[in-house]
Amino acid sequence: MRGLATLPGLPPLLAIGGLLAAWQAASLAVGLDSLPGVPATLAAFPDLIRDPDTIRNIADSLRRMVVGFAAALALALPLGILMGRSRTFARLMNPLLMVTYPVPKAALMPIIMLWLGVGDLSKTLVIVFAVSLPVIYHAYAGARAVEEKMLWSAAAMGMSGPARLLRVVVPAALPEILVGCRTGIVIALITMVTSEMIARQSGIGNLIFNSLDFAQYETVYAMIVVVGVLGIVLDIAFERLRTALVGWASPVGEVAVASA
Amino acid sequence: MSARLLARAPIGLLPIAVLIGIWQAVALSGLAPPALLPRPALVFARVLEQLGQPEFLLHAAATLRRLFAGFVVALVLGVALGLAAGVNRRVDAVVRPLVRILAPIPKIALYPALILTLGFDDAPKIVLVAADSFFPILLATLQGARAVEPKLVWAARAAGTSAAASIYKVVLPATLPAILTGCRIGLVVSCIVVFLAEMISSTDGLGWVLVNAARRFQTVDMFVPLIAISVLGLALNLGLSAIRARLLVGFPEEA
Amino acid sequence: MSGVSKTFRRREGGEHLALSAIDLAVAEGEFVSILGPSGCGKSTLLYMLGGFVAPSSGSIRVGDRPVTGPGPDRGPVFQEFALFPWKTVLGNVAYGLREQGVARVAAEARARALIAQVGLKDYETFYPKELSGGMKQRVAIARTLAYDPAILLMDEPFGALDAHTRTRLQNDLLSLWERDRKTVLFVTHSVDEAVFLSDRVVVMSRSPGRIKADVTIDLPRPRRRADLLLDARYQRHVIDLERLIDDAPDVGVRP
Repeated sequence: MRGLATLPGLPPLLAIGGLLAAWQAASLAVGLDSLPGVPATLAAFPDLIRDPDTIRNIADSLRRMVVGFAAALALALPLGILMGRSRTFARLMNPLLMVTYPVPKAALMPIIMLWLGVGDLSKTLVIVFAVSLPVIYHAYAGARAVEEKMLWSAAAMGMSGPARLLRVVVPAALPEILVGCRTGIVIALITMVTSEMIARQSGIGNLIFNSLDFAQYETVYAMIVVVGVLGIVLDIAFERLRTALVGWASPVGEVAVASA
Repeated sequence: MSARLLARAPIGLLPIAVLIGIWQAVALSGLAPPALLPRPALVFARVLEQLGQPEFLLHAAATLRRLFAGFVVALVLGVALGLAAGVNRRVDAVVRPLVRILAPIPKIALYPALILTLGFDDAPKIVLVAADSFFPILLATLQGARAVEPKLVWAARAAGTSAAASIYKVVLPATLPAILTGCRIGLVVSCIVVFLAEMISSTDGLGWVLVNAARRFQTVDMFVPLIAISVLGLALNLGLSAIRARLLVGFPEEA
Repeated sequence: MSGVSKTFRRREGGEHLALSAIDLAVAEGEFVSILGPSGCGKSTLLYMLGGFVAPSSGSIRVGDRPVTGPGPDRGPVFQEFALFPWKTVLGNVAYGLREQGVARVAAEARARALIAQVGLKDYETFYPKELSGGMKQRVAIARTLAYDPAILLMDEPFGALDAHTRTRLQNDLLSLWERDRKTVLFVTHSVDEAVFLSDRVVVMSRSPGRIKADVTIDLPRPRRRADLLLDARYQRHVIDLERLIDDAPDVGVRP
């Protein structure tokens, strides 16, 4: 066991291998068209990649995700930090957050579409809503936990209020904020796919269900693989970023889990 | 707890009231036609009316059934696997990399595959709910079990408890606070996922009610299931808090 | 049990030699303190005797049976109390008896008697979090005494308590012991405490942990604190032991 642990990259690779083997075994055992095996699914990739339509759909999805995520950060970080530093503001906002938390944001699609149409704006807005909640929550928790004495010594050094917020509270809350961002990234991906599945017009989610309707099962599974890999890659990339930024904080050891 | 909730309720209700006020103002001003934005009073009246309708209640029951079925599966598997990995290094060595890979995959993307393999009935929705709420519960249990003070186990072992029995007599109760935290996340996730699954493909349930209303441009009816799921989530959260307070009497308050 | 003898021998190869070639025999009914600086492995020694930690080499016997794991013949009391937070005082104390197969009613009656004995009557329904440190340690001692172990393994039991509480608990432990005459192994880094309580004090040195001296405390019993503090023999022992610890060949840098 110790031998495995010293090679950090190996256990996840073994896990992927195990999962693919399980998939293949299930496919062979079921023997249905609706569950193609690993080789058949992989064989669907060259055609997919050559199809400009596919690429455009994926690019559309990613663009909405990035824009939505960035907008959510711009909105949620100040809100969360303010909540963490002002008890009154936190009391003001908490019930609203509690009421909106269990509402699936992607479920707002049909209503938002009525107002803003089926285009980019609706889908991006839904992502903004979905990502904001965990980011607000973690920024709030992080800013609230900043040690009062740290602020006192900063004040004693002559730092002004806004400077303290920017140069003491934000860095001290950063590890927790980044945990929120990590959850937010996964949620952005989930909301993106889901909103496209609900309002089928463009994007990866739309592509999956279109292929489903045309019984192109290999394409369905290939696109699922794309989404899955996207999730894993984003998570790993973000974890790298987190370690680079806040290597000084003890590892949180938390894997992003949440849903839209 | 309830006293504290009451004490902070008044000021916190303000933003909600303001939002509803804006909604009312926009609806009345004629900026948005009623077909796109019905007045709030109309929507809330419709919610109350629907609550008395057996048909609506059946949809809510279908949603609840799937939610709980999936959640219970996730709870049992998540706690069992979390405890096993928490006390056994070999299990941990297998579980951890699998979780590392599977947790960040958006489970909703698997939904089409689940439909293809399990049909259009309850099964794919329940599996999806279970898959999505499984990871928060598993991870919370695993972290909790890892953090159990070994001397608690030693004290029980010295009193004659076998190694196997100490897992459910000591590690399980000591992990309970963490497990319940995982449950809270898992429940919210379940609420969200079951609704979305019903929206994407279903013939009943609250999610279907929304999609159906959207298809017929019944704007008022579109708000009803959304409010219902929000209330449902709140109710589940309150229920869990009550269970938590009862189960964790002896534990120090959480920060 | 007759003629208790125990031999520890632990020789850990590789990176860190925590305890090196320890030989120690303790007679039945003896009160032995293990005294040493932090990091000398004195707690580890106790854990190995409890069967919680396996020695890398050497053997440990209780009577003529080798120690292979924890057992109700050796009852631990930890510095951290290690009470079950989900059980009341009564539940904690009755735990060992229930594990020994004693019926609920009988176990609770015996537990109540023990709780009264350690001075916590009327606290039966309290949870550990509601008690002070000293009270928690009284509960922990009662929990261990409940299953009547032949040997008490006390790991700096009063180390986390304030000076006043500490003195009171020392007195109470002494009167309990003078009545039961159980075998006690008592780990501490307080010289006063060791001399006040013990028949013998084993002094350990650090890195690797070795037995440096084995001093017999020939003070008459029953001991009373007020008398001892003025007793020249007591003062002599304290001074000698303090010098022994100061002479310990360590670099003098403590973490």
